[in-house]
Amino acid sequence: MKDLSPAGITPRPDIRAPAPRPVSDLGARFRRVLLSDYFVLYLSIAYFLVLVPFLPTLSTPANLTNLMSNMWPLLVVAVGQTFVLTIAGIDLSQGAVMGLTSVVAATLIATAAPAQVLANAPIWGSLLTAEGGWLAASAWATPLAIAAMLAVAALIGLFNGLSVARLAMPPFMVTLVTMIAVGAFAIWLTQSNNIRELPESFVALGKGDIVSVYFGPKLESQLPRREVYSFVTWPMVIALGLAVFAHLLLNRTVFGRYVFAIGINRKAAEISGVPVARVIVAVFVISAVCAAIASILYTARLETGRPTLGAGNFLLDVIGATVIGGTSLFGGKGKILWTFFGVLFFVLLSNTLNLMNLSAFHIDMVKGGVILAAALLDVTRTRLTRATT
Amino acid sequence: MTRLQALAAGTILAGSALAGGTASAATICFAFQDLETEFWVAGHGAITKTLTDAGHTVIERNANEDANRQLEQVRDCIAQGVDGIILIPQDGESATTIVQEAQDADTPIAVFNRPPSDLSKGIVVVADNATIAGQAVDSIVEKALAAKPEGKLNAIIVVGDLGDPNAVGRKDGFYASIEKHKDRFNVIEVASQWDAATALANLESAVTANREVDLLFTSSDFLFPTIRSVFEPRGLWKKAGEDGHVWMAGLDGDATACQLIKDGYVDATGVQDLYFEAEQSLAAILAAIEAGEAQPNQVIEDPGFALTTDNIGEREMDMWGCVLLSQGFLKNKS
Repeated sequence: MKDLSPAGITPRPDIRAPAPRPVSDLGARFRRVLLSDYFVLYLSIAYFLVLVPFLPTLSTPANLTNLMSNMWPLLVVAVGQTFVLTIAGIDLSQGAVMGLTSVVAATLIATAAPAQVLANAPIWGSLLTAEGGWLAASAWATPLAIAAMLAVAALIGLFNGLSVARLAMPPFMVTLVTMIAVGAFAIWLTQSNNIRELPESFVALGKGDIVSVYFGPKLESQLPRREVYSFVTWPMVIALGLAVFAHLLLNRTVFGRYVFAIGINRKAAEISGVPVARVIVAVFVISAVCAAIASILYTARLETGRPTLGAGNFLLDVIGATVIGGTSLFGGKGKILWTFFGVLFFVLLSNTLNLMNLSAFHIDMVKGGVILAAALLDVTRTRLTRATT
Repeated sequence: MTRLQALAAGTILAGSALAGGTASAATICFAFQDLETEFWVAGHGAITKTLTDAGHTVIERNANEDANRQLEQVRDCIAQGVDGIILIPQDGESATTIVQEAQDADTPIAVFNRPPSDLSKGIVVVADNATIAGQAVDSIVEKALAAKPEGKLNAIIVVGDLGDPNAVGRKDGFYASIEKHKDRFNVIEVASQWDAATALANLESAVTANREVDLLFTSSDFLFPTIRSVFEPRGLWKKAGEDGHVWMAGLDGDATACQLIKDGYVDATGVQDLYFEAEQSLAAILAAIEAGEAQPNQVIEDPGFALTTDNIGEREMDMWGCVLLSQGFLKNKS
C-alpha cells in the first residue's frame, strides 16, 4: 500500500487506517456507469432497445428521420442553456428571444403580407406592407435577416448579462423579466399574428435536405416520396456545427475554464483573476444567440414568423434536456456532449410517448417526472464524485 | 347516456352511412390544437366516436396550442403509416405548412373548421363565417335601431385571434352589417386573441371608457360568461324588454348561447353546423383513402345559419349547442 503520510511525519504501526468498506463488483460497475460521460447515451440505447419490440414503428427509417429532425433545433437552444447553467445561472428568456427574432426575420424578408390580418400591427406600413418586408426584393434578404436576428438576440443577451454581472441581480429574476417583456413586445409588434410568405432560401434552412436516402429496389421510374427519407439536412449541419464549436469553446479554451471556475465558486474565480463580469456577459450573449439560431430553424420549418414561438412548455424541454444530459443546476459542471445525449434522450422520450398514443397531458406529466429524476440523479452523481475523490 | 355518447348519436347515422361506403378499416390520425371551447370538445367527440364506431382506428394527438409540436405530431403520424389525417390546426399559417407536409408524404389530409391560409391544398371544411356573422349581426342591428331610432349607438365587437381566418371572416361579417348603417354606429373593437382573460381585461377597459353600450357582437360564444362578468356589475346584463338591454349576438352555436337566448339575455348567434362539418370531413377523407387519392384538394363550405329569438321555436334543434343543452349538458357541467 502506498504511504500517503505527509512529509516529516513518521507513521505509527500500531494505528491503522480504517479498512475500506468492501464494494461489490456490481456496485463498482454501476457507479462507473453512473459517473460515465456516456451514461445518458447508454440509457437512451437501453430505452430504445427495450421499447423496439413493443413499438415497431420506433426503428423505422421514417421515425428515425423524425427523431433527428426534432433534435437539431432543440440541441441548438440547449447548447446555449448549457453555458448559462454551467456558471450556475439560468436563462428563462430563450423562448421569448426566439419569438422576437422570428418576427424580426419575417418582417424583413416576407415577400407579401395580408393587410386584412396585419393592418393593425405597429409594423404595418413602415416595416411591412402588402408587398412584403424591407428586404423582400434583395438578393441578400436571408443573410441580412439572419444577421438582424443575431444582433437583436445579442442585445437581449447583453442586457441579461450586464444585469447579472454588473448589477448583481439574480439570473432567474433578470431572465424572467426579459422573458415577459420581450415576449409581450414580440406579440405587440404583430398583434399576435403570424407572418407567412417567407423566401425559399430561408425556408430551406429549416427543411432543406442535403442528402436523402431510399431503401429498397427501384421498380418504378419515380420513387414514392413517402419512402425517401431526409438524412443530412441543413438543420443537422447547423446544429452539429454549432455543437462542435461550443464544445471546443467550453472544453478547449481559457474562456471555457473561466466558465467552469465561475460556476464552481464565483468569489474564488474573482480572487484568482478571472474576468468574471465579462465572462458572465459573454455567456448570456451566447445563450441568446443560440436561441436566435434555433429560431431560424423553427421559423423556417414552420415557414412562418411567429411571436409565440418558444412560448408554453418549450422551456421545460430545453432545461429538461440539458439537465437530463448531466449539466448541473448548481453550476460548475457541464459538457456539450452531455447536452447532446440529453437532447437525444428527451426527443426519444417524447417520440415514444407519442407512439404509445398517450395524451398531451400524460406526456407532460411523464416529462416532468423524468426531469425530476434527472435532477435527483445530478445530486447522486455529485455525491458519488465527492465520495470517490 | 354520457354527454359524449349523446353528442355522437347525432353524427352516428351519417357516420355509419359514410363508413359503410368504405371497404376496409382505416387508421386515421386526428391531430387537434387543444379542446379549449365547447365547440372543439363537441367536434372532437363527434369525430372520434363516429370513426371508432365505424371500425376505424383513431390515433389522437393534442398539440396543447403549440404549432411546432403539432407539426412534429403529424410527422410522427405519417411515420406510423396512417391512412389519413384530420387536422384542427393552431392557426391558418401552421395549417398550410402541415397540409403541405402531409401531401409531400402522400398522406391525405382534411382540415376541420379552422382553414389554412392557403385554401388550395387539402380537404378544407369550413363555415362561411362572414355570412353567418352577418346574419346574426343583421338581426340585432335592426332591433337596436328600432329601439333607438335616433342618435348614435355604441357597438362593441369582441374580435378573435386574427391569425385565425375564422376570426377574420367573423369580423368582416360584423362590419358588412354595420356598414349598412355606418352613420348610426360608433364601433369599439375589443381584442380577445381567443383568450378569456385577455377579453376580460380589454372589455373592462372598453366599457369603462364607453359607459353606454347598445350592441355587442362576440366572435365566439365561449366568451359570453366573460361578457356577463363585465356587464353584470355595470348594470348592462339585462334581458330583452328590460330597460338598458344590450343587443347581443355571438357565433358558434354552443349550449351556453342557446341557454342565454332562451333566457332573453342574448338575441342571436351564428351557428356553425358541427354535425355537417364533422360528417363532411370524415366522408371526404375516407373517400380519398378508399380511392387511393394521396393529395385530395377540396373546399367544403358549411353555410350555417343564425339562431335568433324569432326563429328559436323552429330551428332550435338544428343548433348543436341546443341539442347538447336538451341532453343536460350545462347541468352536467355545473
